Amino acid sequence: MFPGPTLQAALTRVIEGALNQALELDPPGRTALLEVLARPVQFSITEPAPLTLTLTAVGEQVSVGGSPVEEPALELSGRPLAFAALALGDNSVFASGRLTVAGDTATAHQLQRTLEQLNPDWEGALAQHIGDIPAHFIGQRLRAAIRWSKSAFSVLNANVEEYIHEESRSLPGRRELEATFGDIDQLSLQVERLDARIERLSQQSGLPHPADLPPEHS
Amino acid sequence: MTQQHPPTPPSGEQPRRDDTTHFGFRSVDKDQKAGQVADVFHSVAGKYDLMNDMMSMGIHRLWKRFTIELSGVRPGQRVLDIAGGTGDLTMKFSDLVGPGGQVVLADINASMLQVGRSRLTDRGYAGNIEYVQADAEHLPFPDNSFNAVSIAFGLRNVTDKDQALRDMTRVLKPGGKLMVLEFSKPTNPLLSKAYDLYSFNALPLMGQLIAGDSASYQYLAESIRMHPDQDTLKGMMDAAGLVNCKYFNMTGGVVALHVGIKP
Repeated sequence: MFPGPTLQAALTRVIEGALNQALELDPPGRTALLEVLARPVQFSITEPAPLTLTLTAVGEQVSVGGSPVEEPALELSGRPLAFAALALGDNSVFASGRLTVAGDTATAHQLQRTLEQLNPDWEGALAQHIGDIPAHFIGQRLRAAIRWSKSAFSVLNANVEEYIHEESRSLPGRRELEATFGDIDQLSLQVERLDARIERLSQQSGLPHPADLPPEHS
Repeated sequence: MTQQHPPTPPSGEQPRRDDTTHFGFRSVDKDQKAGQVADVFHSVAGKYDLMNDMMSMGIHRLWKRFTIELSGVRPGQRVLDIAGGTGDLTMKFSDLVGPGGQVVLADINASMLQVGRSRLTDRGYAGNIEYVQADAEHLPFPDNSFNAVSIAFGLRNVTDKDQALRDMTRVLKPGGKLMVLEFSKPTNPLLSKAYDLYSFNALPLMGQLIAGDSASYQYLAESIRMHPDQDTLKGMMDAAGLVNCKYFNMTGGVVALHVGIKP
């Protein structure tokens, strides 16, 4: 358990406050998220210290709890890094088993869609404190920086992939792999057909299927 | 003038007469305690929230938050908040039970109830809250009426705690949860010493400066020392007929949340 109920309550209070403030900036997103959280969704961090965070809709707010609930609609468990990877859009955390999901998969998909569509109006919130023009100036620069970093990341990714596949030939290329996998699928299909045919012929001739014969002793 | 008591309760090993009880470190007749406690709360009701924030440095909100979290209250349920005072827990319960549920804020003290009602109504909490002036030892509700019952920082002011625990158990539905949030005994000796120093010197002084009443806060410090410790209170809850009783120490045992289930 997280060190002490008082600290746990302090942590959930801070998270709850920040989350609800962010959702204030995106009313349609908040409504969609509250619908998903009609039944509790639980995040269990397993290491370094076990910590549970439970999100539930209470009225017009999201309530964050630090204790496990009896019947969560959805439970995601894993290490903090796996949650961070998921937040950055890496869905492979599920296939690799770094994050485990238990519960209603429809809720999981709905939650993922809702989180992807959240778009808080940070500029509007900033404008309330520093004025429209400075907020718009900062907003533009920030958006440009985010666009540039996304594009740079994707270009870097493509370059590294190309180097590994095409230049160093350390790994087979995606198209080569796809062709190989296609051949394997085809072969598997043909073997199954052959097996079915032998089965049919065995039944017609009254002889046992070769696979059912006892192994020959030399 | 602030009265400076040493932080030690009287060695109460002398047998107490059956018709007396503690009022802080003093022994008073049982039938006088409720009136004296009432005087304390009539005196502090107006500044109660401010004093709570000052005395606990705001941490009382975290203790209450943890209590709410452990309550497991769901929409449509009925909750009784005994000694609900100015309505901190009632407010959260009201959100949790929603329009289909009901929260009863009960307090023996009319002044506290009045402050609670005004505060909640001012904040837009209405419709699913009922206000009842009631004694925790004789709750005016039928058996098996509530899904959850809470008493936060109120049990130590009750004259007959065993009777109050029995009556709270009575009004709970089978499977319902009783939560007792109360000051308790710090588990660390160093913290205990610092806590004593703070309680018997700073609290009455703050009471004098903010609420204009040091005696009430002297009583607060004394009544905390006379309240049963964690294991004793757990035993009392077992004896009242609750099961799965357990407690959670908070802030080093300065406060403990006891939870029990009605079988």
